[in-house]
Amino acid sequence: MSDKTATVIPASDTERPRLAAPEKMPVTQIALLAFVAAALVVLPFVVTGYVLYIANLLLVFIVLCLGLHLVIGETGQFALAHAAFYGIGIYSSGLAGNAFGWPFPLSMLLAGVVAGAVGVVIGTVALRMRDIYLALATFAFGEAMQWVFLNWDQVTGGPNGLRISPARLGDLEILTDRQAYPVVVFVTLLMIALTIVISRSRVGRSFRAVRESDVAAMAMGIPVRRAKITAFGLSAFYAGVAGSMFATFSTYIHPDSLGFQTTILALTMVVVGGLGSITGAVGGAIVFGLISEFLRQTPSYQEIIYGLILIVFMMYAPRGLFAFIRDQMGRITRG
Amino acid sequence: MPDLLELAGVSASYGRIQALSGVSLSVPEGSIVALLGSNGAGKTTTLNTISRLVPVQSGSIRFDGKAVESMASHKVVEGGVVQVPEGREVFRDMSVRENLEMGAYRRKDAATVRADFDRVLDYFPKLRDRLQQRAGTLSGGEQQMLLIGRALMARPRLLLLDEPSLGLSPVLVQQIFGIIDRLNKDGLTILLVEQNAAVALSTSSYAYILENGEMALQGASDQLRRDDSVRRTYLGH
Repeated sequence: MSDKTATVIPASDTERPRLAAPEKMPVTQIALLAFVAAALVVLPFVVTGYVLYIANLLLVFIVLCLGLHLVIGETGQFALAHAAFYGIGIYSSGLAGNAFGWPFPLSMLLAGVVAGAVGVVIGTVALRMRDIYLALATFAFGEAMQWVFLNWDQVTGGPNGLRISPARLGDLEILTDRQAYPVVVFVTLLMIALTIVISRSRVGRSFRAVRESDVAAMAMGIPVRRAKITAFGLSAFYAGVAGSMFATFSTYIHPDSLGFQTTILALTMVVVGGLGSITGAVGGAIVFGLISEFLRQTPSYQEIIYGLILIVFMMYAPRGLFAFIRDQMGRITRG
Repeated sequence: MPDLLELAGVSASYGRIQALSGVSLSVPEGSIVALLGSNGAGKTTTLNTISRLVPVQSGSIRFDGKAVESMASHKVVEGGVVQVPEGREVFRDMSVRENLEMGAYRRKDAATVRADFDRVLDYFPKLRDRLQQRAGTLSGGEQQMLLIGRALMARPRLLLLDEPSLGLSPVLVQQIFGIIDRLNKDGLTILLVEQNAAVALSTSSYAYILENGEMALQGASDQLRRDDSVRRTYLGH
């Protein structure tokens, strides 16, 4: 408006505290990261193909959870359509491969961009609402998308599901979980790095400001609506990429696995791990992903046990598993 | 002094409820102007129309000679109009330092931001000891200081202060208003919304009184302080 700036505050020569102090990583976090890195490298040499399939699936869930972390954990917007964007990602990359024979890095990018774009459009409408209304609106969108997946026969194969042809890059074809694993790991690490960059950027700070107070964020000149839509679009982008990761090692997709249960599963993972921290999102995906794999033996109890775990965590460890462990360890060492 | 801020016939509403009708006021550069009135009179709404959090139905708002009434709220902040919202709207889970940094969100001049950070801490030495503390754990007075400090980090030319005395002890109110006075002496223009009419009238040079969304009374602050009807209604003696 004007280049006149106020000289309200008298200058001083006292020592300058550094601004934007980078968050220091607690020791537990570093230890966990080192352990995860070692496990990732060693894994394919020591386990069977089935275990690698599970590992791939867990990595997909990590990326799904990172997306939810951005919109719910960082920005505080309860969006419940994650499975829909995941599905959009699977179908976009699957179709790009099936119909056009695109190389998989390109179809991955496409999956993320398509899901992200749909996310921005839906977000622009849904984020006019807040809290429970936002949750309901996004839930409704998720349900509608599942219906689309089930009925758009020409594209998704409808109730018959869709065969996904092997991911390819030039002459290379990914035919097994073992072959897909390095790709999936690489993309996961990329997405984790991206999340850290976003979280520490100006955009990330605007997300957290919006989470803590709309009013204060607005008063500080943060375009609140734009921040919410950005977070929502980013989370959809993540879900789309997760979908395309799934498509690299999976040969088949059915709309049944793209419903509200999948959204709730990812939400539970993020809550169990600890809302609002990247470690929480990653750790929650691993821990809860493993639990849900074991529960696969008893499908009839699966939902009940999910629910119980969610309730127990809300009651006793609302800040998540890792914060809970840290607190307990702190209590023990303090005596 | 030329007027830094000028409202002419501003009306605003929430749905069907008319919150402001035809409010006019002006804030000369370098002054403290108080906006008084009882609960629900439209004081906060007036501030919110200036900072573009509430849409203006009709009328005009000019800041530094430029029309603001259709600007985006973040542009208004960039232009130098910064609001200190009422009711302890600190970023509770962020540290005091991060809160202050958020104040400079729209600024790109890193070097001067760092200098301002120091200057803000000179105004509020208490905050210096608490930089790493979570803002939500500060006392009410400290939170109010943090709010003002955070707003200063945005380099305001006009500060919109919403009920800085709310919920504070008389001693703290005096402290806060002492700082407000100092800020003004150092050149900052302030539009002050208050329910505590006594303290607001003794700090400001000119005051407006809102009733039911309309301007009921205005005048030099020391005259209003001696006005019988004002004393009865707003000063309680």
